[in-house]
Amino acid sequence: MNKTVIECNAIAAGYVKGLNILQGVDLIINEKEIVSIIGPNGAGKSTLLKAIMGLIDISAGRFFVNGHEKTNTPTHQIVKEGVGYVPQVENIFPSLTIEENLEIGSWTLNKNIKQTISKTFDDFPMLKERRKDKAGNLSGGQRQILALARSLVTSPTILLLDEPSAGLSPVAIKEVFETVKEINSKGVAILLVEQNAKRALSFSDRGYVLDQGRNAYQGKGHELLDDPRVIDLYLGKL
Amino acid sequence: MIEQLGNGLLLGIIIAVASVALSLLYGVTRIVNFAHGEIIALGAIATLFLSSPIDSRVLFLDRFSPLGNNFYLSVLISVLFCGLFGGILEFFLFRPLRKAEVGNIAVLVVTIGLSLFLRHIYLLLNAKPQNFPLELQRRQTYLFFDMTPRNFRVLILGIIVMVLVGLLLNYTKIGKAMRAVRDSNDLASVSGINSDNIILFTWISSSMLAGLAGVFQATINDVRYNMGFLILLLIFAGTVLGGIGTSFGAMVGGFIIGIVVNVSVGLPFMEGHTEAKNAIALAIMIIILLFRPQGIFGEKERLS
Repeated sequence: MNKTVIECNAIAAGYVKGLNILQGVDLIINEKEIVSIIGPNGAGKSTLLKAIMGLIDISAGRFFVNGHEKTNTPTHQIVKEGVGYVPQVENIFPSLTIEENLEIGSWTLNKNIKQTISKTFDDFPMLKERRKDKAGNLSGGQRQILALARSLVTSPTILLLDEPSAGLSPVAIKEVFETVKEINSKGVAILLVEQNAKRALSFSDRGYVLDQGRNAYQGKGHELLDDPRVIDLYLGKL
Repeated sequence: MIEQLGNGLLLGIIIAVASVALSLLYGVTRIVNFAHGEIIALGAIATLFLSSPIDSRVLFLDRFSPLGNNFYLSVLISVLFCGLFGGILEFFLFRPLRKAEVGNIAVLVVTIGLSLFLRHIYLLLNAKPQNFPLELQRRQTYLFFDMTPRNFRVLILGIIVMVLVGLLLNYTKIGKAMRAVRDSNDLASVSGINSDNIILFTWISSSMLAGLAGVFQATINDVRYNMGFLILLLIFAGTVLGGIGTSFGAMVGGFIIGIVVNVSVGLPFMEGHTEAKNAIALAIMIIILLFRPQGIFGEKERLS
């Protein structure tokens, strides 16, 4: 049994006080796993990631990173615990150069900043070529790659991805998912929120189905794919 | 015209320093700070209080003078004091408002209230204009403009400060972090930046720059309770003209506004109407914005 990286116990959270989107969600992610969260619009998938990152307040329940309680810890400290996050929108600094985008994340390390950045450039040659360019000039797919690279320089042991394929062309989607797979093969656990349930589940070890801020179903990726209840509820358009 | 150009450069550097300060704060915190003018006045008032001769009464107070009459030391302490004041404002007022998720418009109204409050406190302290205790100087010619050696020093110091701000933003860790928070507060946090600290630093540095602009303004003219408020409109104009949120734009925009205001005094049809000098500068701002809505150096945001 692998070590648990992130554990959520009955988490309730929302954007406005007294109006919770999440109404008690449980979640476990072990090291090196790929786990996806699927569910209809408004199920609370993105909200769950924001609650984990400390971007919104957790009003009830508890949250652990590597066995230590981190409920309502400031965001920059969650990052230092090894949790990386790529938001769905606003996931790069558009007015900063590509190199500066990577530098910002690397400061959490306190050491080997130069090496980390040059290694990242080796992994993503496209970024190296355009290192002095403003990040805001990148295309959608390139931005997503930069967003992944930016989150990797914080040396995460787990990476939270919020709909990395949203708005991308099929070619760019393929590239992004290949990159995610590669990141995972280097030992980084992945928590993936996806609109496209089929793609997400076939890509993942395990999956959680959320509905109206609560856990609906969970299981192995391919089992959920074949589960008639899940198909009925969320995957009707398969 | 030569005289106006010299005055234009001086007002230009004051507006530029104050605009950069306003623009930094807006960029990082999204606060449109109407109390900016009062922080400018604070810099001048504190300097007046600290630098006046020991037996004088300034601001209806017997002058307390631990520094002797050292003007430069007084300026330094005053500017640091403005930074402290800005930090206190952020810590005890604007941070709690931000945590309570009070909207931008409400915060704007708070800054207007703060501005009125501070201005009237200054008015209570002293209503009549006063000069810094500095000896009179004769104008000299520098290259192609005339000004006093002291004012020339203001100009040079202002330019040095602008360069330092540019270097800070582009080459230091904290400067890059400020630009990151300006782009996205949340993303900066998930990149491991403590954005509260960055915002605090921004308030402190913006207020120090404002205080310095106030000292400049008072060195050239005099100390008045509403001296910051009087040039606030020009500062907003400079900030908008250069492109909101871009520091380099604010510098250039502020400089242009300051020069245009004073040079327009020399235009033939302005004779006898010098009190209308701001009109030309603001008209130029409006015309430029009609053709370049994002300001001279502002970039159109690429959405997605």
